[in-house]
Amino acid sequence: MRTADNKSGAPGVTCLRRSVLAGAAMAATLRMPRAARAADGFSFGLTPLFLDNDIELLSMLKQYLTKQLERPITLVKRRTYHEISAMLLSGQLDAAWICDDPYVQYQDKLALLAVPFYRQKPLYQSYVIVNENSKAQAFDDIRGTVHAFSDPDSTSGYLVTRWMLALRQITPARFFRDSFFTYGHRNVLRAVGADLAQSGSIDGYVWDVMAEREPDLVRKTRIIVKSEWLGFPPIVAPMAIRDAPAVKALAAALLEMPSDPLGRDILQVLALDGFVEGTPDMYQSTMEKWLLVKAQA
Amino acid sequence: MMLRFLRIPAWPLTVTVPLLVAGLMIGVAVVISEIVVSRLIRDQETNLTLLANAYLDGLSAAVLPAVIRGDVWETFDALDRARGQYSGVEARYAIVALPNGTVLAASDPARFPIHSAVPAELHAKSPHDDGLVIDYDARRAWLSRGLRAEGFSVGRILVEIDIASLLHVRSQVVLTLILVNGSLALAFSLIGYFAVKYMLRPFGVLAQYVERVREGRAEPIPERHYKRVPAGFGQLFDRFNAMARAVSERESLASHLAEQEKYAMLGRLASGMAHEVNNPLGGMMNAIDTIQSHGDDPAVLSKSLEFLKRGLAGIRSVVRAALVTYKGGSDTSVLTPTDLDDLPFLVQHETGVRRLRLDWRNRVIEPLPINGPTVRQITLNLLLNACAASPVGGTIEVEASCLNGALRIAVSDHGPGLPDEMAGLLTSNGQMAAPTRDRKGLGLWTTAQLVGRLGGIVAIERPDVGTRVVVTLPLAKEGARHAA
Repeated sequence: MRTADNKSGAPGVTCLRRSVLAGAAMAATLRMPRAARAADGFSFGLTPLFLDNDIELLSMLKQYLTKQLERPITLVKRRTYHEISAMLLSGQLDAAWICDDPYVQYQDKLALLAVPFYRQKPLYQSYVIVNENSKAQAFDDIRGTVHAFSDPDSTSGYLVTRWMLALRQITPARFFRDSFFTYGHRNVLRAVGADLAQSGSIDGYVWDVMAEREPDLVRKTRIIVKSEWLGFPPIVAPMAIRDAPAVKALAAALLEMPSDPLGRDILQVLALDGFVEGTPDMYQSTMEKWLLVKAQA
Repeated sequence: MMLRFLRIPAWPLTVTVPLLVAGLMIGVAVVISEIVVSRLIRDQETNLTLLANAYLDGLSAAVLPAVIRGDVWETFDALDRARGQYSGVEARYAIVALPNGTVLAASDPARFPIHSAVPAELHAKSPHDDGLVIDYDARRAWLSRGLRAEGFSVGRILVEIDIASLLHVRSQVVLTLILVNGSLALAFSLIGYFAVKYMLRPFGVLAQYVERVREGRAEPIPERHYKRVPAGFGQLFDRFNAMARAVSERESLASHLAEQEKYAMLGRLASGMAHEVNNPLGGMMNAIDTIQSHGDDPAVLSKSLEFLKRGLAGIRSVVRAALVTYKGGSDTSVLTPTDLDDLPFLVQHETGVRRLRLDWRNRVIEPLPINGPTVRQITLNLLLNACAASPVGGTIEVEASCLNGALRIAVSDHGPGLPDEMAGLLTSNGQMAAPTRDRKGLGLWTTAQLVGRLGGIVAIERPDVGTRVVVTLPLAKEGARHAA
């Protein structure tokens, strides 16, 4: 088992409590999650990470978790990050793999269970990419282009670019000729590759993995900006049930995935080395960016 | 010459019938091909319309929610995913245009960027209302479908389709039709050629024997030709053989009758000759009696001997003419002027009885390369016919001349005119059947036969009074005569 503390090199972070919740979500958080009420089921939420066609992955993950948690597992997948975050905060999910942006927004209500370990780091980067035919070499060169974001709650697919614009004290509407959300990092690749958008914001981990698996698609794009290293999107559970046996079992199952044959297959599909225990301070940089953007908004 | 060659009736049946079969097959093939191709085009257009409508139905349903929201990505995603999903519709690009004429999203964003104006050229090509426009020359089709929500227009889908595969299928069908129909036409032509050739073989045999009939040899078709002929032709051959036998018998009868006529004429001539010989004989006997009684008188003797000489000279002319005509000369390939000049002696009795005046003009002054006895026979027959037709005391004109390599003999009489059926016998050139019923015209028929044998022609002229028969006979080449 690996921990992120001595490997991430991430700066220390102060846990900031989030009080901004949507009305319905706020009320829902008061409800007791199912994992705490009964041991006959476990719902696990997944954000659209990078695979569009991930039926096989979901099947393997469900099989693995069912075996490890010794209870029926329900995998919940939604189109947007916000839907998963809302379901998690409202108690409709027992745990979820969410982006670091919503995590830092609701850090006081969410407990870190595990962080993906990618290329020997629990970290990843955000890339700004352009179409292969673009002459842009730096971020400011994409001014006036049509820009493809991934998701409003995605750190790499929105927050980092939004933060860079905030540093320039300019909004996306003024910096870009037009922009739109594709609700998926792979879709950002498709949009920029097809020249629907001339630039895009994408998860660096997704771009790197796609470069190996779908080189024809990735070849149509080019990276012009790589962000600093950020805490990898974590697996979290509502704080209220962090000590529930099922939640603990989930954390253990994730951390022990490399030692299980099926777990290794899952990691191979995800192109991850494994999962490690995370700490909130790994997401300090994300937190700072979110705060700056929020302040400008 | 070429046009003459192209006249179909001039071609053999073994060529024309297969050609007609081939032409018919080609015509049928063209009509069938036209129908098939027309039907194919109609079906292809119908299928394309149905496929296009299904494609647009699916696309409209997929993009409509995104178009209502103005969602660029969702619209593009729907267009992009639809690519290749509809077999039979090879969309080159699809555009979702907003009511203001700008592009919301297109399957080819590099060509049609978002928020750019839809090219005017595309507007011109696309149907103004919902539907399909096909341009076969450009190998493209354009579709258009309006997007409506709650009664309001929210956009329009414009699609360009590649119909090259459609046209390829069509060209393949046309090629197949041409090959199949062409092969069938060729096969049927060959089958027709050989079948017709086989079926027409009896006609060839029949034509060969009919030609022999025309040449004067009416021969029945031998039994060996009855083998390997289609049913029905045996009966035809039987009928022909019956006809050939009848013709042969008729010819035989005609020859027999002609021979009898010849002898009858010979009898008439012989009696005439006897008369001509007998006439001077009385005077000559008187002269002999005078010599016996008054031979001592030199003047009486001389006068009686002169009378005897003239009488014997007349008898010698008559006998000589008869000998030349009915015994034949030593050289039959030449006609001498004397051969013709003898003839008046032969008809002397006929002219004398009817007190006819013979205007004899023989302008042949040197031997001619032509069969002399036959010419004499022709001329004699015409002369006798003219004598018979002339009224008592009438005039008969005979003129023989040589002009432009042909011998021309014209015989005129002042009779009532040659009846048409008799004239027909004479001008038939020997092609008409012999008159066997009452022997009438047998002499003229024989004359026509002789003229035909020499390759000549007979012309009948009808002056105000009587008839003028003109026979033109070609002379043989000099070399041929010498060779003969």
